[in-house]
Amino acid sequence: MIRTLRELWIFFWRDLSIARTYRTLFVLEAVEALFGVAMFFYAARFVDSPQLASSLPQGGSYFAFSLIGFVFLDYLNAAMDTFDQSLAEARDSGTLEHLLVTQTSLPVILAGSAIYPFVSTTLRIAVYLTWGALLFGFPLHDANWLAVAAVLLATLLAFSGLGILSASYVLLFKRGNPGKWFLLGVSSVAGGVLFPVSVLPDWLQFVAKLNPVTYALDAMRAALLGDAGLSAVWRPLLVLFLFAALLLPLSMAVFAWALRRTKTTGTLMHR
Amino acid sequence: MQTKELPLRRPVPFIASRLSSSGRHAISFFVPEAAISIANLEKSFPPARSGWRSFLQPFEKPSVVALDRISFEVRPGEALALLGANGAGKSTLLRILATLLLPTGGRAKIAGYDAVLDPRAVRRQLGYHAGSDIGFYPRLTGRENLRFFGRLNHLSNANAALRIAHLAQQFRLEEALDRQVRTLSSGTVQRLSLARALLHEPRVLLLDEPTRSLDAIAASEFRRFLKSEVLRRGDTSLLFASHTLPEVEQLADRIAVIDAGRLLACDTLAALKRNTGTATLEDAFMHLTGRTPHLTLEDAPE
Repeated sequence: MIRTLRELWIFFWRDLSIARTYRTLFVLEAVEALFGVAMFFYAARFVDSPQLASSLPQGGSYFAFSLIGFVFLDYLNAAMDTFDQSLAEARDSGTLEHLLVTQTSLPVILAGSAIYPFVSTTLRIAVYLTWGALLFGFPLHDANWLAVAAVLLATLLAFSGLGILSASYVLLFKRGNPGKWFLLGVSSVAGGVLFPVSVLPDWLQFVAKLNPVTYALDAMRAALLGDAGLSAVWRPLLVLFLFAALLLPLSMAVFAWALRRTKTTGTLMHR
Repeated sequence: MQTKELPLRRPVPFIASRLSSSGRHAISFFVPEAAISIANLEKSFPPARSGWRSFLQPFEKPSVVALDRISFEVRPGEALALLGANGAGKSTLLRILATLLLPTGGRAKIAGYDAVLDPRAVRRQLGYHAGSDIGFYPRLTGRENLRFFGRLNHLSNANAALRIAHLAQQFRLEEALDRQVRTLSSGTVQRLSLARALLHEPRVLLLDEPTRSLDAIAASEFRRFLKSEVLRRGDTSLLFASHTLPEVEQLADRIAVIDAGRLLACDTLAALKRNTGTATLEDAFMHLTGRTPHLTLEDAPE
């Protein structure tokens, strides 16, 4: 267990060391976040009305609703990109085969490669919300941080399964994953990102119920905007953990199979 | 049921009986485990496809033969060279031993551990150098890269630092250690890669064209280092692929000649020359592979 934690840490240390060589990127991303938040603020001022506010789940402003939707879609993006990008980078840089001949197991290599991107995405979300709170009145004072942390963990685990499935596809077929674009497309419509799921036709509401993004956003909005504690968000949390319990072992098995396949066909290092 | 065999450094005590003129005697002696044992190893790949058919490649049947029932052993402390033309199957063989490829048939073992059934145990025993000057994180320094891979091979921080310092001295890498890898020459990166393969003091070294990007001096120093520091101790075995005949002659105790996936010969340099009736390794190789007709003075055109 301690050895595994050390191995995970060394991956985080690697990615942090690489990121430190791009110092201006942190500043540029913070500035980009400021522009993003401002865009949502002024767009919300244009569309906000008492009727709209009353139809939103937490009854808050459209600015807060849409900002959470937008930044947490980033989480799904990160989860879907992290595993296949780190795999593609390792393959292209020639480090993949050197990672695979070390004594570190494949699940640890996969998990280790995902830590920094998830931490970095979480920090980016924090920067967005901080700009929103400092300059545009985002109601951070209503947040229940314990519930926020629980929702983040459940979201991360549920989305990681999808990311590992995506990486398996890239490992086998060497190309971008159409499933990723499909899921991101579906989530942007039937995930409650910029508008509540309740405005969708029945069949799309059904699709939204199958989508982990819907539950992650419901729970996150409740925890961040509605001061909802763990007892209030247990239902979406449970669904997210169920997604994770189903997807993580399935995705690991699929990835192991894909790796075995590429070792059989000799295409492991092919681009 | 799979039986776990003992690792290399613990020779297997073996009680053997043999008949002698005075009757049956029990004699106790040690039979050291082969460092590398390859038996009837086969590898075939699916045919290469392009366009939309490449989507089918992961599911195609392997039909292109890369290795054809190869068998040999490398003894503890022995250096064995794989000699063959491009595409002969040398790298495929090394990659199977490094657990990066799965064989189609046969068996490959390192220090008694099966490369297919027990790949993690195999990886504990080996150091692998792919022969390329890529495989590092270009924005990390040489030291950071080595530390990263050393830690993944379960070296402690302190131990990794010691090994890095020692190997940097051996490979003249002191200056390169604190520079980003992207600023290093390909020869220096190659030396860094060799240092990585030796970092955790593996019992079996697999080197694929280890001096490909090195200049003559660096290549010579590397060979001297391998002989004096790695092979002299007698507890590390070396299997390397090379096109450089002087390198093969200088390093190898035995030479395995491979052509089109088949093992044509595996013997000492002297025996290869003797068996082929040739004077040099190059002639012996040409004779074995039939690449050029073996001309005698009588056959030569006037």
